[in-house]
Amino acid sequence: MSRVITNKPEVLVPAGTPEKLKVAIDYGADAVYIGGEAYGLRTRAANFSYDDMAVGVAYAHEHDAKVYVTANIVAHEGNTDGAGEFFRTLRDIGIDAAIVSDPALIEIAITEAPGLAVHLSTQASAANYETLNFWQKEGLERIVLGREVGIAEINEMQKHTDVEIEAFIHGAMCIGYSGRCTLSNHMSQRDANRGGCAQNCRWKYDLFEMPTLGDQDSEIKADEAFSMSAVDMCMIEHIPDLVEAGVNSLKIEGRMKTVHYVSTVANVYRKAVDSYCADPDNYELKPEWVDELWKIAQREMSTGFYYGVPDQDDELFGKRRKRPQYTFIGEVLAYDAEQQIVTVQQRNNFGVADTVEFYGPSFRHHQQVVADMWDDEGQAIDRAPHAMQIITFTAPHQSNQEIF
Amino acid sequence: MIEIVATPESVAQAKALLALGVDNLYLGEDYFGLRLPHSFERAELTEVVALAHAAGKKVTVAVNAIFHNDRIVHVLDYLQFLASLKVDQITVGDAGAINLLLENQVPLAYLYDASVTVTSARQINFWAKHQAQGAVIAQEVPYEELKMLAPALQVPGEMLVFGATAIHQSGRPLVDNYFDFVKAHQEKSDRKRGLFISAPRKPETHYSIYEDRNGTHVFASNDIDLMPRLDKLVELGLNRWKLDGIFCPGDDYVTITGLFIQAKNAFENQQWTSALAADLDAQLHALLPKNREVDTGFFDIDPSEVQ
Repeated sequence: MSRVITNKPEVLVPAGTPEKLKVAIDYGADAVYIGGEAYGLRTRAANFSYDDMAVGVAYAHEHDAKVYVTANIVAHEGNTDGAGEFFRTLRDIGIDAAIVSDPALIEIAITEAPGLAVHLSTQASAANYETLNFWQKEGLERIVLGREVGIAEINEMQKHTDVEIEAFIHGAMCIGYSGRCTLSNHMSQRDANRGGCAQNCRWKYDLFEMPTLGDQDSEIKADEAFSMSAVDMCMIEHIPDLVEAGVNSLKIEGRMKTVHYVSTVANVYRKAVDSYCADPDNYELKPEWVDELWKIAQREMSTGFYYGVPDQDDELFGKRRKRPQYTFIGEVLAYDAEQQIVTVQQRNNFGVADTVEFYGPSFRHHQQVVADMWDDEGQAIDRAPHAMQIITFTAPHQSNQEIF
Repeated sequence: MIEIVATPESVAQAKALLALGVDNLYLGEDYFGLRLPHSFERAELTEVVALAHAAGKKVTVAVNAIFHNDRIVHVLDYLQFLASLKVDQITVGDAGAINLLLENQVPLAYLYDASVTVTSARQINFWAKHQAQGAVIAQEVPYEELKMLAPALQVPGEMLVFGATAIHQSGRPLVDNYFDFVKAHQEKSDRKRGLFISAPRKPETHYSIYEDRNGTHVFASNDIDLMPRLDKLVELGLNRWKLDGIFCPGDDYVTITGLFIQAKNAFENQQWTSALAADLDAQLHALLPKNREVDTGFFDIDPSEVQ
């Protein structure tokens, strides 16, 4: 009898909107994380009202999935007003945990909303097991590790702690220790730790010596400007290491990302984790999983700190080394199997003669060339140029694949 | 009672600072502490502690690095060494180091110092409940917020009144990675090289950047100088004033520290005037390194201007 891993890690997917929450769960997320209307770091994401949260929790719990709420600002005076009520409301709605960084908010959550699970945010840069143990004693159930922690370090932590560990495995990253950066405050008067980060690290800077004010030594200036821009993380090729290290939750970045991104990361990582855990000794990384992730990639990808300190290849310098070759063109609203006609809501311009690929939960894919197209009044058209435009076209049924 | 905290770059400078009447020397080694003018190994540290105590002054040791497993295993031994020296205080910013300190009941007082993240009284008071004796307040807290923060503090808060403000720490060697990419200038990325970056279309800006064993550090374009605002600190009872000499070496740093000691004495003798403030500040400007500028940082900023 071959080995089977029953204690599978959770696949934790970002959900910037109620729609994305459903998509993430439909595509295989064990848990999603969302933002409330206050105390979170993504003030520009479409955050959830309490009513939205309640609907989301109901949907998630029906599907055995969990919902976490990020409340990971670092508060200034006055910012914690009402936080006790906020955390109690999360608890009463049935939110499964709050993700918090500021000790002031941690204390409020623990003392004023007993029963609400609290996770330490990656913003706290937890990087050693004594830190994990400190926060566990404070009543936290889980620690999201700093993104500077490697696989070998996680293995060592497991010998010294039994608190749950969550680790980022995919998506955009801070170049610095999260939380320990106020470039945005100083350069753009936007507080990085209160949802205002202007991503100044990704700017192009001049680098120089300056023995006297105004006397910049330009000798260092190269064709390529100095920057502090990390490529994105992608751990799809290392799922076995993460599972064997006992990471409880595999976290994917991106509450600002699209439905296409959310559905794809949930789909791919669900498949990889299930595949490994079902038969770890005969596991094979499928090239199509990697290909899928490249379709949604906005930057090159690397493994961050998991296997050592990142070098220049882990930063964005020079020309893009690989570009995504796919554009998300729309969402399937309906499929008429008898007529073999699909109804699609447009998200990017496409038209007759374009090759399109359909994908769905459980990693189903199918490609075809668009041969015809009608607008919502039944008029034949060549292109679908308008955002959110509803169109139909012929999509021959695939007998071997239940794509729709 | 105003307390002047200064950062020696050598044993000789520590002696000069003590002779001048500094109340507290802040130093350490870079294996455990962040962004120090000099890394004092144990023998040198022992010497400075003895000098300070003989002069009736205090020593604060930096244990405020972000620790990974490889270093946290050495922290308890270091804490016990510091306790054996009867070091008066340490700074700590990693909850793991606090865990070791409390679990092992090491007899050391600590100030909470997690760099840019220490921004509210409620957060500082959380650490006070975990036996912190004080905290280092982040530079990003404007005066209008300090007016609410200071009265709510259960332990004293330290303010940077002079010196460079750290605004970024990365675990990555960002300068070396860049040099490796452009394949040039690879000789040095340390603090002594004196590298700066300027923001796009703002050539007048000059953010210091360097690498050490704790990663890459970036500092605000201008250093802090709160000489013109000291009356406001005194009014709020924020009486622990640190002068960071990391980018202001040598005798000029000692002389600048002397200006703040004059300020302290004037406050304690009720002789502080705006004319004296202007005079001391003019002297300070004349002593600045040729490649540094100062301003009051976030102190005067309207909190509502920060998004």
